[in-house]
Amino acid sequence: MSKNFLEIKNVDFAIGGKTKVKNASFGIENEGETLCILGPSGIGKTTILRTIAGLETIDKGTIQLKGKILSSKKENIEPEHRNISLAFQDNSLFPHYTVEKNILIGADKNKEKKKKKLNFKEIIKLLDISKILNQYPHEISAGEAQRASLARSLLTQPDLLLLDEPLSNVDQSFKEEIQVRLKKILSRLKITTIIVTHDSYEAFYLGNKCAIILDSQVKQFDDPYNVYHFPNSVEVVNFLNRGILIPAKVTGENSLENKDLGTIKGNFIKHYPKGSDVQLLLQPEDLEHDDRSNLKLEVVDRKFRGTNFIYTLKTNSDLLIPVFVHSHHVHQHEVDEKFGIKRPINIDHIVCF
Amino acid sequence: MFKSLNIWFISSLLVSISVLIPIVTVFYSFFEDTSNYFTILKETFLLEYIFNSLVLLISVLVLTFIIGTLSAYLVSFYKFPYSNFFKWALILSFAVPPYIYAYSLTAFFENYGTLYSILKNLFGPGNYNQHIPKFDGLFGAVLSLSFSLFAYVYILTRASFLYQSQNLIDLGRSLGFSKFKSLYSLILPAARPAIVAGLSLVAMETLAEFGAVDFFSINTLTTGIYNSWIAFDDLAFSNRLSFFLLIFIFAFFILENLSRKRAKYHSNTKGGFKQKEKIQLSGIKAFNAFFVCFIIFFLSFLFPLSQMLYWTVKFPENFFDLQVVTLTLNTVYLVFLSSIVLIIFSLISNYGNRVSKNKALNILSTLSISGYAIPGVILALAFITFIAWFDENIVQALGFLSIKKMFIGSILGLVIVYFVRFYSLAFNGIKSGYEKINISVDESSYLLGYSKQKTFTNIHVPYLRNSLLFVLILISLEIIRELPITLILRPFNFETFATTAYISASEDLLEAAAVPSLFLILIATTFIMLTSNYILRENE
Repeated sequence: MSKNFLEIKNVDFAIGGKTKVKNASFGIENEGETLCILGPSGIGKTTILRTIAGLETIDKGTIQLKGKILSSKKENIEPEHRNISLAFQDNSLFPHYTVEKNILIGADKNKEKKKKKLNFKEIIKLLDISKILNQYPHEISAGEAQRASLARSLLTQPDLLLLDEPLSNVDQSFKEEIQVRLKKILSRLKITTIIVTHDSYEAFYLGNKCAIILDSQVKQFDDPYNVYHFPNSVEVVNFLNRGILIPAKVTGENSLENKDLGTIKGNFIKHYPKGSDVQLLLQPEDLEHDDRSNLKLEVVDRKFRGTNFIYTLKTNSDLLIPVFVHSHHVHQHEVDEKFGIKRPINIDHIVCF
Repeated sequence: MFKSLNIWFISSLLVSISVLIPIVTVFYSFFEDTSNYFTILKETFLLEYIFNSLVLLISVLVLTFIIGTLSAYLVSFYKFPYSNFFKWALILSFAVPPYIYAYSLTAFFENYGTLYSILKNLFGPGNYNQHIPKFDGLFGAVLSLSFSLFAYVYILTRASFLYQSQNLIDLGRSLGFSKFKSLYSLILPAARPAIVAGLSLVAMETLAEFGAVDFFSINTLTTGIYNSWIAFDDLAFSNRLSFFLLIFIFAFFILENLSRKRAKYHSNTKGGFKQKEKIQLSGIKAFNAFFVCFIIFFLSFLFPLSQMLYWTVKFPENFFDLQVVTLTLNTVYLVFLSSIVLIIFSLISNYGNRVSKNKALNILSTLSISGYAIPGVILALAFITFIAWFDENIVQALGFLSIKKMFIGSILGLVIVYFVRFYSLAFNGIKSGYEKINISVDESSYLLGYSKQKTFTNIHVPYLRNSLLFVLILISLEIIRELPITLILRPFNFETFATTAYISASEDLLEAAAVPSLFLILIATTFIMLTSNYILRENE
């Protein structure tokens, strides 16, 4: 019997006879935790959710929830008997019922289980949908429909909640606030959740664990901090797009040498023999700006991101390196100007491939 | 395959198979022995049957194309006095079945008929009969069918015109096209699928028509089938003739499909649609448009209605002789039973298809809706053939009592054959409602703990209630007008307005046929008015 709350073991996830994700193994250790699944469009993230919900069957591996097999080649519990709720990305509200009636259907199921931890009014307030309760699904926006669908799913208080891009249609201005509220409610009610998203920041904020799906397989399954700081493959680095790989030579226990940036010091997370040629992951926060430094690079682009600027700098070898600078920094650098980098370069942990 | 074997799949499969039985029977019967009549007929009347059917078909198609597209073009693109009234008034012609139109045509133009009376009252006694044209025979049948059936072309073409983008019209203008050139080089080709669909329905109804052609004594394949059964008592021979007619119908469909090739008629681009604005007509142009629509409305609806009304008033004794209450109850009884059966089984079949997602079942369902393309006469006779075979080879062979009387000349048999004939109406009506329900709605329902049954009863049925109402009225309309199936399979002494009118007319008592015909037109008109918004797609 599995120790994990949710255990997915060697499963091939397929839809319409086409395998999307092969031999996947991951899970959720404890009740109330959230797992975020990240990956590019069409990779099979939704297929994973549909399969866990019981809407698709499997021919290989097992899916267990609370020690009970939900899906395997021989067994398949029907969706209506799994006590798993799935909020679809697109509007899946019942078109002939008002938003209120739609949400109350979720509450009806909740009533059957005699769980009373979350009430209708609370969830309406939480997701800010009180104004649309008397409207029909075709009369509301895509973002409102998503929130209504989320409310319905939350009210069922399932054993496992599956959210497919739950906030993809929600306005950017409102999105972060909803994320905060969602995280609070999931944590308070101890609802175990899997969230599919393509927004890595959303995944890092909401998830206790993240699974990165690339090339038809689970490339990395780890906590958000590790996924960001210790990506385990070049593919994950490229997918997250939070840094670049530059060529370097290992010069010692704690140092490397790049011909444009010079010596770079830090702690290797993996041992490489001295003299090895490696690809070093350089993230925007790894380099510091210093006007007095003699290491000057050319500014080719500058993006204003509110709290900071991201400068894109060109090295002599034509590498393009991103660097964060606080937006309150005393002065700004224009494109084509020279930009100083503080030396020696010190990186807390060195990730190489 | 076996994963999809559930109660819904099996029910759906059974419904489709039972609808297919009469169709298969017709094909099977082709290989059976017939009497010598077939050889005799082959050498004598068969060519005439085929020739008459072809002439009738082509003439009706040409006329309905002209009337249907012209009226649809006028009400869709122009504003003129009463254009909004004509928009729905033109569909009232549906309330007048071709056989009632035929009675009106004969009654008006016959020697000493209504036109004669009008001329006599206006100009005094005279020898008017020799100057009054006679609309009978093949020409009369063409007119009756065309004015009764053009609404199929009108409705579908108008719907297509309605969704034609203003961009298309603007494109014509920017290319310097005249209105006429825009019509034939842009507007009509874009509406081609709708026009062809409308004409296909007209073709099926024309080939299936029994009442009007029988009234005008024209030998077509359909009347041939009926007569060979009545006169020669030769079911196998009727079925063989039916086979020819079916080949005719299927050839028509194949031709239509081939002619389309890979042409694409609809652009699905979002946001590119610009609702077109109607052009305001004035002066002589407005009068011409009004006149054309009025003439079509008058000839297709007002003329037969007033003729029947005139005779009802002129011969009131026929009104008192008619058992209106009994006929109404009989009609309501048939409508009620058939609608219930059709709606329940079509719902089950649609849902079965939806949940099992089985391709074989899908193909079978598509085949089973072909019942609508098969003339009522053929279906009724195929049903009798099948029951006779089943009774002889299965029921009685097993030592049970004969079941023939249970099915032939009974309400049960009537309802079963109505079911086969109108199954496509119910199935497609419900299917179009189902297509608007996203599959994720079903999945949400399962995930909320609803079983398939509960999803069906709590989610689908309430959502489909408008479609169901529409289907109910459509079926009612068809059953009220239906003639050959009722005529062949009805129980002894069980009449409807349609059969009463037919029997009176076939006994040359056209005045007596007027009252049931008038009732039939009025009831059908009420049903059409109730559903005009659906039929015209005003609410989409």
